Amino acid sequence: MHNQTTFLSAIRTALGETPNIERSKSTFPKLFAAPDTAETLKKIRSRTVTERNELVKILLHNGNTLNISSHIVESLPEAADLVVELIRSTEPEFNYTKHVIMHDHPDIAALELWKRFNREAVTLHTTFSRDRQITDKTIASFIGITAPTIGVADSATVIQLTEPGRPRSTSLLPSLHIALLRRENIVADLAEAYALLRQKSHLDSFVFISGPSKTADIEAHMVYGAHGPRELHLIVLAEPELEK
Amino acid sequence: MSEKTVSLFIQCLVDTMFPETGEAMITVFDRLGVAYDYPPGQTCCGQPAFNSGYSRDAAAAAKHFIDIFEDTEIIVCPSGSCVRMVRHHYPELFADDQAMHSRALAIGAKTFEFTQYLVDELGINDVGAHFPDTVTYHDSCHLSRSLGIADQPRTLLNNVRGLELIEMRDSDTCCGFGGTFSVNYPEISVAMVDEKIDNILATKASTVTGCDISCLMNILGRIKRRGEDVQVLHIAQILAADKGEKR
Amino acid sequence: MSAKPQSQYCRDAQKGMGSPRLQASLHSLQNRFGKGAMTLWAEMDDQDMRRRVKQSRMKNLDHLDILLAELAKKVRARGGHVHFAENAQDAIDYTLEVARKNEVKRVVKGKSMLSMEIAIDSALQEAGMEVVETDLGEYIIQLADDKPSHIIAPCIHMDRSRIGELFTEKLGINYTDDPPSLTAAARKALREKLLSADMGLTGCNLACAATGHISLVSNEGNIRMATTMPPVHVALMGMERIVATLDEHRETVQLLTRGAALQKLSTYVSFVGGPSTSDDPDGPKEFHLVIIDNGRSKILADPEFREVLACIRCGACLNICPVYGRIGGHAYNSPYCGPIGAVITPLLDGINKHADLCKGETLCGACKDICPVQIDLPRMLAGLRQKLAYGSDRWNTKQHNPLEAYAFTLWRQVVSWSPLYRTGLKIARLCQRPFVGKNSMIKRMAGLASGWTDGRDLPPIAKKTFTEIWQKKHATAEVKLPMATKEDNNA
Ligand code: SF4
Repeated sequence: MHNQTTFLSAIRTALGETPNIERSKSTFPKLFAAPDTAETLKKIRSRTVTERNELVKILLHNGNTLNISSHIVESLPEAADLVVELIRSTEPEFNYTKHVIMHDHPDIAALELWKRFNREAVTLHTTFSRDRQITDKTIASFIGITAPTIGVADSATVIQLTEPGRPRSTSLLPSLHIALLRRENIVADLAEAYALLRQKSHLDSFVFISGPSKTADIEAHMVYGAHGPRELHLIVLAEPELEK
Repeated sequence: MSEKTVSLFIQCLVDTMFPETGEAMITVFDRLGVAYDYPPGQTCCGQPAFNSGYSRDAAAAAKHFIDIFEDTEIIVCPSGSCVRMVRHHYPELFADDQAMHSRALAIGAKTFEFTQYLVDELGINDVGAHFPDTVTYHDSCHLSRSLGIADQPRTLLNNVRGLELIEMRDSDTCCGFGGTFSVNYPEISVAMVDEKIDNILATKASTVTGCDISCLMNILGRIKRRGEDVQVLHIAQILAADKGEKR
Repeated sequence: MSAKPQSQYCRDAQKGMGSPRLQASLHSLQNRFGKGAMTLWAEMDDQDMRRRVKQSRMKNLDHLDILLAELAKKVRARGGHVHFAENAQDAIDYTLEVARKNEVKRVVKGKSMLSMEIAIDSALQEAGMEVVETDLGEYIIQLADDKPSHIIAPCIHMDRSRIGELFTEKLGINYTDDPPSLTAAARKALREKLLSADMGLTGCNLACAATGHISLVSNEGNIRMATTMPPVHVALMGMERIVATLDEHRETVQLLTRGAALQKLSTYVSFVGGPSTSDDPDGPKEFHLVIIDNGRSKILADPEFREVLACIRCGACLNICPVYGRIGGHAYNSPYCGPIGAVITPLLDGINKHADLCKGETLCGACKDICPVQIDLPRMLAGLRQKLAYGSDRWNTKQHNPLEAYAFTLWRQVVSWSPLYRTGLKIARLCQRPFVGKNSMIKRMAGLASGWTDGRDLPPIAKKTFTEIWQKKHATAEVKLPMATKEDNNA
């Protein structure tokens, strides 16, 4: 704390303020003032299905330019078919056996992937909170499946919050990242996304993901799969609206 | 036509090395019936000192300039960087001197670059010139970036009879002059002007023009050294041509 | 053929200009990203955004003490440690102490220019640790024992075959110059390092005071790795890299990634700050934020230069600067190159020491035009030159070139009194005669002026100056009459 005091005094001196008198943030209410998001939140909530479908289209289109492989499905079983196909058709990059790591999320559980692999050597792991071996299992996995909280159409971003049972590494260490996103969770732009984030009372770490890992450091040649996943598969779950 | 008398602010390089540019301006004004005078005693706007950091010495030049030009109606100069010096930097130089500061602001407000004055102030797009040749135009940095003058010269050129304007690649990239920079870092400066010249040559235009003699001097100097066959003219010279003569 | 002694800057600049690889890379880089950014700014819907972000950057600088105190409070509340380091040594000592306590043997780094500014790598290595850069470009630079030459694209001066040879030598792979294969080799090698490291060391692009997060952008994912897998994460933060609120973050980060690589967002924007919790099984067990001054408060104190602290280090100014575009990054001899480097390096590390950086630009203004936060770098370059011209106590700067200063004092006399000016011209006109060559141009001059004539001809002083012509024709005329004839004045 001693360091902090002298450090901040030096700043106050530089700013022409009294060095030893701490300035309080309450004296500068505008400094942390943030625009009211009520309107934005209302807009997000009141979107019609047509409008949401429009956002899906934009998200997919923008994702395409970022090399995101995207799929629209109408039901969880349909999503499961896709995932199964990806698991079957992809060869592990760092291991010889097929391990898949999945976030502890109701939509992912509802895929019931365990039912699909009774004759193949595919091991499925879920990142349950108290499992101490999660890191090892994640390192062993070639596919990671998450269900991001928010999708952003304009920047083709999925926002992954760190929460109990939803660690950071699931979308990072495997060669393939599959993000399962409900149409309802897609917003138009970052302004809307940040408004939703501000709603959260507690934010642990989180990450914006806009495409597969990439680098252009060697002669500006674009290569996917630098350190993170080399493929990002976005599965948008757009269930048909029930007649009201 | 404006009733105002234009006071010619002839940049030192034009005065000493390129007087034909000044004469060309006069020719254009004559043709347009614009009255002008040439306040005696003018020297240099102070830019070389200012850009080298010698702001106090630049301020002396600025003071001299203000004394000379204070009583004029309109000041027109065939060089964008000098106009910028007067308009943007004179007030800065006298930030601590209220009286001089206001004088500087007043001078700046009535100082115009040649093409800007013609197009924006006089509303002239066609000066009645005839110049049957292919021409490419270099955007001088201070002119285009700082004063926002890019369309005016093009408008005027496009209305010159017989003239075909061919845009070069990266016309708004610096030619590498930079005042004392060109003398202090000649290798870098020459590399920059070489690229400019390559872009000029690529247009196959037989003339390159611009609104700032400093850049043109740099380009000319390198073109001559390389022995390239491109003529370098200040835009006033093109606008002054009316007999269809190729210069 | 100049006989002038050459500075290191000039020698390195010439080396850069002589490298075909570098020239090709710089050319395509500027073509794509420089022009791209200008187009992006022109076409952006929200034309007010850049001004707004600049304003918030400046506002945050004015309240920096409050923001940093708030940030520290929030990070600590999340269980992180915060250390305020007045200078490089302080930051190094603290990091070493953290490393020692945690028995760190291997450190993985996310790209951080600040880490280069404070030269922490060598300190860690001397303490017996292995330090591994994980950004592919930086990793290549590290393997080659070279220096980065661009803020965002560190190894643009190296070609693929050089990198191929390097990987064969250092990683033991069969030679290839295929970028995907080379990337795959590095991916594998670095994954091992990243998964086994004891400490992740990163910079901080933007900290958010209101939430206590620091945010980091990357395309490769190495920064996510370095902040997630090792048990300790140390983030080095320049004290000015802070926003007050998430809303400010949203706009600022978008300008950063657009300026840097024309991206609406980089592939990853990670918000971290604080160790993992018991519910959150991965992530570091310890998080340390080191907030570094190292000369910044001195810049903050000077209204003339405070604006440079608004920089978000996107590197866009490199992508348009015609000087950087010729000479590349090495000549700047600093972790910060290009226009931003030319301003910040002298301010942080000595104006006299880096006089060439202050003087080696044309002040064309392109950097100001492209800068997402519209920083007036040319104004500050002129300001730095002023310190060199007259010396400055505040900046502990000596007059750089007394001879030049004397010359400008003379110049001042001459331009302030036109008879002297006119006489001087006449004398010069007489003196130049022997030098005027066949094409009516001066081919060679002596002394300083040789800088011009080494590569260019110079037009001589005209036989009659404009003033003389005017006097002859108009001396008697009271009223300004249109001029009738025109005399051929060419020499
Ligand atoms: S000065 Fe502007 S353009 Fe240059 S790195 Fe900083 S923010 Fe980017």
